[in-house]
Amino acid sequence: MTAIGWLQIVVFSLAVLAVTKPVGVYLVRVYDGSVRWLAPVERVIYRLCGIDPDEDQHWTRYAAGLLLFSAISMLATYVVLRLQAHLPLNPFHRAAVPDRQAFETAASFTTNTNWQSYTGETVMSYLSQMTQLAFHNFTSAASGVAAAVALARGIARRSGGRIGNFWTDLVRGTLYVFLPLSFVLALLFVQQGMIQNFHPYVTATTLEGAKQVLAMGPVASQEAIKQLGTNGGGFFNANAAHPFENPTPWTNFLSTLAIFVVPAGLTYMFGRMVKNRKHGWALWAAMFVLFLGGVATAYWAEAKGNPIHAAHGVDVVASATNPGGNMEGKEVRFGIAASALYATVTTDASCGAVNSMHDSFTPLGGLVPLVNIQLGELIFGGVGSGLYGMLVMAILTVFIAGLMVGRTPEYLGKKIQSREVRMAMLYVLIFPAVILLLTAASAVLPAGLKGLNNNGPHGLSEILYAFSSVTGNNGSAFAGLTGTTYYYNTLLGLGTLFGRFAMMVPMLALAGFLAERRIVPASVGTFPVTTPLFVVLLIGVILIVGALTFFPALSLGPIVEHLLMGAGRLF
Amino acid sequence: MLDVVYILLTLAFFGLMVAYVRACEHLGREGTGEEDRP
Repeated sequence: MTAIGWLQIVVFSLAVLAVTKPVGVYLVRVYDGSVRWLAPVERVIYRLCGIDPDEDQHWTRYAAGLLLFSAISMLATYVVLRLQAHLPLNPFHRAAVPDRQAFETAASFTTNTNWQSYTGETVMSYLSQMTQLAFHNFTSAASGVAAAVALARGIARRSGGRIGNFWTDLVRGTLYVFLPLSFVLALLFVQQGMIQNFHPYVTATTLEGAKQVLAMGPVASQEAIKQLGTNGGGFFNANAAHPFENPTPWTNFLSTLAIFVVPAGLTYMFGRMVKNRKHGWALWAAMFVLFLGGVATAYWAEAKGNPIHAAHGVDVVASATNPGGNMEGKEVRFGIAASALYATVTTDASCGAVNSMHDSFTPLGGLVPLVNIQLGELIFGGVGSGLYGMLVMAILTVFIAGLMVGRTPEYLGKKIQSREVRMAMLYVLIFPAVILLLTAASAVLPAGLKGLNNNGPHGLSEILYAFSSVTGNNGSAFAGLTGTTYYYNTLLGLGTLFGRFAMMVPMLALAGFLAERRIVPASVGTFPVTTPLFVVLLIGVILIVGALTFFPALSLGPIVEHLLMGAGRLF
Repeated sequence: MLDVVYILLTLAFFGLMVAYVRACEHLGREGTGEEDRP
């Protein structure tokens, strides 16, 4: 590990801290309706779609709107991908996307996962990229934030189960948050040399004299929302390791920061909405501690490198001319610290963009992204999903604290009783159930084993990572798993759907139930949710829930692989 | 041919989610007796 490496992590952390409050204040104003500078556009959309923007929806109606919008947009994407050969903006005559991949891609982008089993630059037409994938990049992000805002409203007010209006939250999030932020970020990216064009692909001659086709396209505009919306689906197959998609250290820094901008701001927004800013910062602190633990572990493991390399005389010590450590699968322009930071941030949030190949990390370095996803994508998390995941954990924390002292638990003035805990537990249990059942099936079925490139514990890690990634709506790939089969395309597509909607529904129910409860004033028996004790307890609950559910699988995968690496065995 | 299967699979999933919403609503009412509606 080097001082300059740590300096990058410190500067990044300070930047996240600096953007939290201004973004949070803006988000409050967007979702309380006081930002109006695109009001005419809003009105036209509401009129065209027959939306009553003043309707305060019951949680069941809010959930129905979310499901209806997702179902229709997913089916539309499926149809366009299947028909792209006959549609315009297809200058390279891309054929129809195969049915299994069209299903998986439609599900994946609808759910903010953006798992890609195809090579973007050789499979998708410009029309598919711009009207379908980019559309979902905006709307899946906006619907995630909408759901988080709905839960915040449920906690903040007493309104008979009414938690806002899904359609206005969706439109306002897209118009006032993601479109303008993406526009500004895309301009910064273009200024740094990221490409943004509709040129035909360019044929270049390499130094060895070989011909190489360089893909072109509107990359900067896709890249901006890919990061800000924690989508992660790259324009190019190499994602942010591609020099056109991540040309300079500044684009690398900005794109890493962009992943955390909205999730960090949401913690402040929540504090403002519930009139307890200290609690918003307490959530931020819990997220930050977990982030710091992850990035420190990944950086340490990668900087230390593989002892087998050292045993064979490879110089793994960092020096002025040698990055040292484990550089396999890493972009030499970014090195170990920026790769470990990017891998941690992209899996803390449900982004899934990568600037290095996680499969090439050391076992413990690769364990960090996997654990980040398995903790529930709540370390700042996906846009919206990070906040509501953390709030569910906060509710479980006060419930456990209430059990300890024998009092009815309260969370921000709302009593937490059996129905709230039922919904919170549904939310918590569905996630590991989907991951572990699909992983277990794939580890024994011939169709599941057929896709593996590595055997032993590393092979299990590849399967476990794939299902964790799609169910957590992350979308990053560990690589090494051939996912372009009917078996994997279909199951991974279903994993994204269950990981998104089967968790969102109980969370919205929880929001509705809390919105039915009256707000009781704090008393001497109320467990304070602004203290370091609360932060420690919250982190403990998150780690214990994660450890209890995933430790057996992790011990058979990356942990045993690490121990065997020490004994000189590789997989 | 499989297009029909995938479209039906999508519709079945979202149909299941609608039923899930109703089940959660039911779970919220069932036997709590604690609702304090405004």
